[in-house]
Amino acid sequence: MLSSEGFILGLSTGVVCLAYCGPVLIPYILAESTRVKRNYLSLVLFLGGRLIAYLTTGLIAGLIGMTFFQKSALFTRALAIVYILLALLMIIYGFHRFREICLGSAGKNVKIHFGPDLTAWVPFLGGVLTGFNLCPPFMMAFTKAFATGNISGSLMLFFWFFLGTSVYFIPLPLIGFVRRQKVLQIIGKFASILAGFYYFYLGLIMLVHK
Amino acid sequence: MKTPSAYSTTGKIGKSVLFLLPMLLITFVFITGGQPDFSGTGQVIGFIITYVFFNYLFFRMLYTGKTDRYRAAGFIVLALFFAFVFIVNLVRARGNMSFSDENILACEIPFCHIVITMIIIPAALTQTIIFPGSILEGFAAISLMIVIWLGISLALGRGFCSWGCFYGGWDDGTSRILKKPVIRKFNPVFRWAAFAVLILVALWAALTLTPQYCNWLCPFKTVTEFEKVTSVETLLKTIVFVSLFAALVIILPLLTKKRIQCATFCPMGALCSLTNKINVFDVKIDKEKCNSCLKCVTICPTLSLNKEEVARGKPSMTCCKCGKCIDSCSRQAIHYHLKGTPSDKKLTTARMLFLYPAFTLLVIFTGGTMQYGITLLIRLFTTGSLF
Repeated sequence: MLSSEGFILGLSTGVVCLAYCGPVLIPYILAESTRVKRNYLSLVLFLGGRLIAYLTTGLIAGLIGMTFFQKSALFTRALAIVYILLALLMIIYGFHRFREICLGSAGKNVKIHFGPDLTAWVPFLGGVLTGFNLCPPFMMAFTKAFATGNISGSLMLFFWFFLGTSVYFIPLPLIGFVRRQKVLQIIGKFASILAGFYYFYLGLIMLVHK
Repeated sequence: MKTPSAYSTTGKIGKSVLFLLPMLLITFVFITGGQPDFSGTGQVIGFIITYVFFNYLFFRMLYTGKTDRYRAAGFIVLALFFAFVFIVNLVRARGNMSFSDENILACEIPFCHIVITMIIIPAALTQTIIFPGSILEGFAAISLMIVIWLGISLALGRGFCSWGCFYGGWDDGTSRILKKPVIRKFNPVFRWAAFAVLILVALWAALTLTPQYCNWLCPFKTVTEFEKVTSVETLLKTIVFVSLFAALVIILPLLTKKRIQCATFCPMGALCSLTNKINVFDVKIDKEKCNSCLKCVTICPTLSLNKEEVARGKPSMTCCKCGKCIDSCSRQAIHYHLKGTPSDKKLTTARMLFLYPAFTLLVIFTGGTMQYGITLLIRLFTTGSLF
């Protein structure tokens, strides 16, 4: 019962999830776009991160009362910090290898290095951070999970909710079939930087408004 | 040695006048809207100036074989008169340039073509138009703008950005003020930034069901209408769009001699670039005539050419068919081309087939506005009032 409820809720609201997670995942897939297989690996990492975030939320929903959860200023501040971390992740990722991918030899004066190449972890971290996104489907799932009144039920609902929403992400890696990979990579880098600024603004507004 | 002109009308008055004849009728119809209004001296003078202006431009295009400089004159006039007439109408209707929550609730916000990039996904997902404008009524009705844009995209592709957009003339104008660029190198890779903006504003609109580019980023609100400043947020928005106007429409185009807003930031420009793939006209470079001087690369205002693309014989999909590269080529190696036809033959035919619809588009968007704007200016000088 809980499984079908969670899955159907995920299916019916998953497009909105895609709109929320798209600004994070799509720039990455565009920028790293080389092969469809590699893109699916990135998607798995991203969804893995999201699953962890969802299960954590399911656990919290089962443990504590929703009224407390919603009214907590600490929680709002924590979310704001999550947004800012996500923004930093995207901006750093956007500038990482920017010269090599976007500017080529013309960008010889631009020197931006961020240490070892950890880009493979970007979709995973992005998945975790967007998993905590307070989008309408997430809030609906949270309300239902809270209503189950127990930890296992809440976890189960979030797990199936995750599966329902994930269906909409399946076609994204097919971008790898597009021929002009280099152009997609450049667009992805630009999109990542711009999306980073957007999330930074969101986080800042949440911190200011508390 | 200068290569002789590639077009059969160049330098020939008789042939140029012959090709001008259809345009004399087209301009009359579109400037008057099919219903000539000669009720006052202002209207008559406005019509005569507009009519002579456009037909002179078209004649010069035919006679000199040059396209861009005459197109730009009409295009810049379009941007200036559009802003002037729009602001006058707003002030007349509302008393100022800002709109309020009441105007939003009453769906009284005029719809511009850039919003199309943001309404597609929400319309597909929710069957809702997320813009507070009228669907069917008025001069800027949503359905009308979508139909016009679709028609133009099929006919001219991104040619819309150089022949019909009533904002493009701003940075096209500022990019022509200085004789030489202060910033000489501007990496063409930044043309792809507009696609990133397109992706993000489309997703952002789907996420919030609000046209956020209009809400936060559109530089042209500075010269049209904007939200009334009633809070810190609206103040912040005002600072953002005025700064973007100053940077992308005035300062950077001035320094680089490129249309920076159109080339790197406009989501509509990016969407129109995609339609370049499906319309019948493109620009070709004759590789046999080309001596790889790369003047076209330096001069292209939308960063649509680089060395590789010159070697390939055609500009990138972001080309807005302004004709600047065609005019600048001393070897006549670049020309308008009708897809599916031999690229080195019938150059006059291909050019004329492109020029007629493109110039007609310019007249459709500019004619009535310019005539009305002149009428307003005459009223201002004679009575001291615009109203």
